[in-house]
Amino acid sequence: MEKNFQEEEFARVTKFTPPLYKQRYQFVKDLVEKYKPKKVADLGCADCRLLWMLKFCSCIEVLAGLDISARVMKEKMHMLSPLPFDYLQPSERSLTVTLHHGSVAHKDPCMLGFDLVTCIELIEHLEESELKKFPEVVFGFMAPSIVVISTPNSEFNPLLPGVVLHRHPNHKFEWNQAQFQSWALEAARCYDYSVEFTGVGHPPKGMENVGFCTQIGVFLRKYPQTGGSVQYEKPTEAVYKTVFKAVYPSLKDEKYLQNAVVSEVIFIAQNIKHRLMSKHEEYDDDPERKSEFQPSVDCFSDCLGKLVVDKTMEPFVNGNEVYIPLATIFSFPKVNQLCGTFEKLCKLIAGKVTLSSDGSAVVFNTERE
Amino acid sequence: MTGRARARARGRPPRQAAAAPMGGDPPVPLDLPGELSEPRRINVPPQPSGEPGGHGRLRGFESVLPERRPEGLRVSSGLQDLCLRDRGGRRRDYHDLGVNTRQAMVHVQESKTGLSGRMIKLTSNHYRLTSRPQWALYQYHVGYSPEMESRRLRSALLFQHEEHIGRTHAFDGSILFLPQKLRNRVTELFSRTRNGEDVKITVTLTNELPPTSPTCLHFYNIIFRRLLKMLNLQQIGRNYYNPGDPVSIPNHRLMVWPGFTSSILQYEESIMLCADVSHKVLRGETVLDVMHSLHSQVGEERFRDACAKELIGLIVLTKYNNRTYRIDDINWDSSPMGTFRKSDGTEISFLEYYKKQYNIDIGDPKQPVLISQLKKSRNVEGTVVLIPELCSLTGLTEKMRTDFNMMKDLAIHTRLPPEQRQREVGRLLNYIQRDDNVQKELGNWGLSFDYKSVAFTGRVVQGEKIFQSGNMVDYNPQFADWTKETRGVPLIRAVPMDNWLLIHTRRNHDVANTLIQSLYKVTPSMGIRMSRPIIIEVDDRTEAYLRVLQQRVTPDTNIVVCILSSSRKDKYDAIKKYLCTDCPIPSQCVLARTLSKPQTIMTVATKIALQMNCKMGGELWSVEIPLKQVMIVGIDCYHDTVTGRQSVAGFVSSLNQTMTRWFSRCVVQSRGQELVDGIKACLQTALRNWFKWNKCLPSRIFVYRDGVGDGQLNTLVNYEVPQFLDCLKSIGTDYSPRLTVIVVKKRVGARFFAEVGGGLKNPPPGTIVDTVVTRPEWYDFFVVSHTVKNGCVTPTHYNVIYDGSQLKPDHLQRLTYKLCHMYYNWSGVIRVPAPCQYAHKLAFLVGQSIHKEPNLMLSDRLYYL
Repeated sequence: MEKNFQEEEFARVTKFTPPLYKQRYQFVKDLVEKYKPKKVADLGCADCRLLWMLKFCSCIEVLAGLDISARVMKEKMHMLSPLPFDYLQPSERSLTVTLHHGSVAHKDPCMLGFDLVTCIELIEHLEESELKKFPEVVFGFMAPSIVVISTPNSEFNPLLPGVVLHRHPNHKFEWNQAQFQSWALEAARCYDYSVEFTGVGHPPKGMENVGFCTQIGVFLRKYPQTGGSVQYEKPTEAVYKTVFKAVYPSLKDEKYLQNAVVSEVIFIAQNIKHRLMSKHEEYDDDPERKSEFQPSVDCFSDCLGKLVVDKTMEPFVNGNEVYIPLATIFSFPKVNQLCGTFEKLCKLIAGKVTLSSDGSAVVFNTERE
Repeated sequence: MTGRARARARGRPPRQAAAAPMGGDPPVPLDLPGELSEPRRINVPPQPSGEPGGHGRLRGFESVLPERRPEGLRVSSGLQDLCLRDRGGRRRDYHDLGVNTRQAMVHVQESKTGLSGRMIKLTSNHYRLTSRPQWALYQYHVGYSPEMESRRLRSALLFQHEEHIGRTHAFDGSILFLPQKLRNRVTELFSRTRNGEDVKITVTLTNELPPTSPTCLHFYNIIFRRLLKMLNLQQIGRNYYNPGDPVSIPNHRLMVWPGFTSSILQYEESIMLCADVSHKVLRGETVLDVMHSLHSQVGEERFRDACAKELIGLIVLTKYNNRTYRIDDINWDSSPMGTFRKSDGTEISFLEYYKKQYNIDIGDPKQPVLISQLKKSRNVEGTVVLIPELCSLTGLTEKMRTDFNMMKDLAIHTRLPPEQRQREVGRLLNYIQRDDNVQKELGNWGLSFDYKSVAFTGRVVQGEKIFQSGNMVDYNPQFADWTKETRGVPLIRAVPMDNWLLIHTRRNHDVANTLIQSLYKVTPSMGIRMSRPIIIEVDDRTEAYLRVLQQRVTPDTNIVVCILSSSRKDKYDAIKKYLCTDCPIPSQCVLARTLSKPQTIMTVATKIALQMNCKMGGELWSVEIPLKQVMIVGIDCYHDTVTGRQSVAGFVSSLNQTMTRWFSRCVVQSRGQELVDGIKACLQTALRNWFKWNKCLPSRIFVYRDGVGDGQLNTLVNYEVPQFLDCLKSIGTDYSPRLTVIVVKKRVGARFFAEVGGGLKNPPPGTIVDTVVTRPEWYDFFVVSHTVKNGCVTPTHYNVIYDGSQLKPDHLQRLTYKLCHMYYNWSGVIRVPAPCQYAHKLAFLVGQSIHKEPNLMLSDRLYYL
């Protein structure tokens, strides 16, 4: 299933810009932008390139890939791992990426409950027996809201130099437009989907009747979501093998949220302390400081400035100790945004940050420096 | 090496793939000024994560065997590629494999081990790699007819035949490694591309590699990296880290990732994995955050300068891929709104590009952009444009290193005591042992590890006697320190301070007086005669200091003491520059803050008195040196990583029998020049001065060479040593001294642990290891000379690359250990021989502050301390 590089080769010959495989992926990306699915599965994910592109789509929370060749998946699967940066600044959304090794001819409960299932250049690689089971597995069992299927259009083949029978020796068949459409319409009818046909790779001028180089069917489920496996009275056994799983750090996870909040609180508190200790360095007095570099550079002073109105929120020094009211810290947009409520802030930093006896302020000892 | 240099060595900018098979078009920015605007390939790094630099070029059979290494040690380029793709760096042999120096030294061919000292049971962080009996690695060349360009295509076509070649393999596009032999020497396979082209693949056996061959060692390291990846460790630079278990230090916005360094090498008796704990310091801020806080700290005028100072040279990670980049410049004239040309010719702004490609919204469209130069490698060069907001900083800045509190907070997590360190390393081995996939991969290759670290015996040599003015100092060698014991004992040679200057600002008037009073108290017992200094008050400006120096310093001045109110580098630099070049007089700068604490003032004054005495040519203590007519040389280098322009080599050589006086010179060289030419001149003057002092020439010369990077050993052996010999020959026809060259390495992965009462402790000072964990092809040994308060002691590695002395290993080891006692700025034993540390100090001073060779009038004194 070495589709990509094959296609690259091919694209060079016929000069599709951008290359055809990119156009197919872009098509899927556009679809994701339009329907905002949360759970997306790519069947025949091969080298995981489409999955890698999709992981940047912020609406997606679950990504799954399935392929018959574990080797091809393994070659590049680490691209799907979280990056160091993801750990440093965990994102708002949660994301889990899983790769399964298995066949689209088999049902596995891990494929239930998806919003979008993509089968890009997949079906032409299926043996007849597998192709027969395919609609039942995808439309009947998985039953996502949307299915995208792409496959070569054999009517275009004469325009491709060097193509004798099929575009790839591993293709078991290549359909013309009528063949694909009748197969798709039959599947849609059978499992209560609607289908629309489109494609990527425009034919040359004057030859429009051959159709797109890649033909695509977009299937939309007509009946509303019924709770996943309930629809299937006999839940099947797991038959796929999980070859890769990555859970991205996310602020939805209490552990990461707490880390983020604690470090932000300590950072802000320390900054306020420094300002307090070095007041004489005419810090807040100079409104001209802000430059064209960025108007919001000194959001710090801005925030503090607004706060001075409320006396109870002002940080103060008492002997060796500096008190920075939590209310002050909470008014900083980032903390506010992370915690949502003041109660949540208190809960998250409990035990992690030294507080005054009544728990209303962060306390620093000035002795240390 | 400075921290920055270290960071640079680890995180060198990755190679941009010429034909990146994946991930975005390499765009070309259009709006860069001046020097960058000639035709070039400028690439923004929209490479996908974990994407190894591809190399999709055609490689014929001939080019598979490049003449890169000496005969017999040839490692196929294919394999190097494999390992470098994993590493994402330049081609370099980090382990100096294949530099076989021991074979030329007859006297250590039988044995290079010493005998003296008491035995001590040690373990280390080395683990044996075992392979099944009769194990071999089979190397095949894979040819395609017709030629296939793309590496991926080549792999895909080959792997259609897994039933023939098996499931376990390593393939780089032309060289295939298999754990078993194919039935025939030449196997022909037939595949068809999607274009219907028939391709004949010829798989030819080229080599049957025994487990110890250099190629195999490369191969083990590649496989081991695969294993680390399988364990879901993240590669940053050369090492692997565990992101699942970070330690966050919110006080300083730091995050520490625990990780491992690992290398598999042929050691004395077996092939072993050397694994050590490594910590990656990451910062929770983006470059833009840092810019903002700098802006609020320094204000508008100095903002750009401050950014350049703080940021250039740092290594960043990006939000969208798994690469590290070095910040080489900041382009203030560009912004994310600027555009570049993609490879398909269309123009796009950075804002749009990141939105489209990675769905990233850049919040601040007006920020400047960062420039990272790609190292010249392959045929790709150019620069990468980075967006500050999308870059996160790694490592520590110089400023952070000087932040005592920060370093203390960090040390808690990174300085692990022996037992804990060994436990952490044990965890890695545990992961390997427990993970099924890892075990399967190892099993398929027929490899496995000894999961218990090697144990062996080392020797602890006798503590050295310290002499001061004819008295032996009675100190405990266990502590490797004689600060207390030498207090109040007269120095070997005390230089009087009859005529000296003390310069301070008005604010530090009291501090200056305290210093003088304290010096009056501590100097008499040392035997230093001290008169009242000429005290001069100046304004706290650099020019004021310089003017006073120009007016008041005379040739008779013994020393100039400057009390500085801040650690501002420019003032220090100006003073040092003037007094080291234009007006060669020793000088001592002291920070006012250091003198402000009454409880430590006497200790500080003692230290200053000793240091000043050394700078004026005094001598403090000595050890017994039984060898006669010996000259010791120490060399170390300083590389200016910020501007990348200069390198400085410090050269220090002994002048007398007791090794208490040292001659020094240094070589300042701009990029592209060879260091060794300058060193040759240094050696000549050193010999001339030795002659002046001793009325003869030395019959033995020992060169301790520090500052040799990983992979530079070959150059040293083949170029530098012959130049030394040449230089000696040029002195006279009847002069043929015995030369010994020893490479000193402080940064080594090996750690030793002494088994004491069932627990693990640091080995005591004086521990020598010259078996099991040394390399068979070298005459090398480890010495633990110093002690540490926290964490694990790092042994220093000594590699004797040339030895005409014919000394027994015992004697050379002892000489080395003795020299570690002779550094006058520390009344204890240090990690390296004193001449290396002196050379380091000198090179650092010149590289950081003076930037040219100091006046030779000073060359017989330790003015650089």
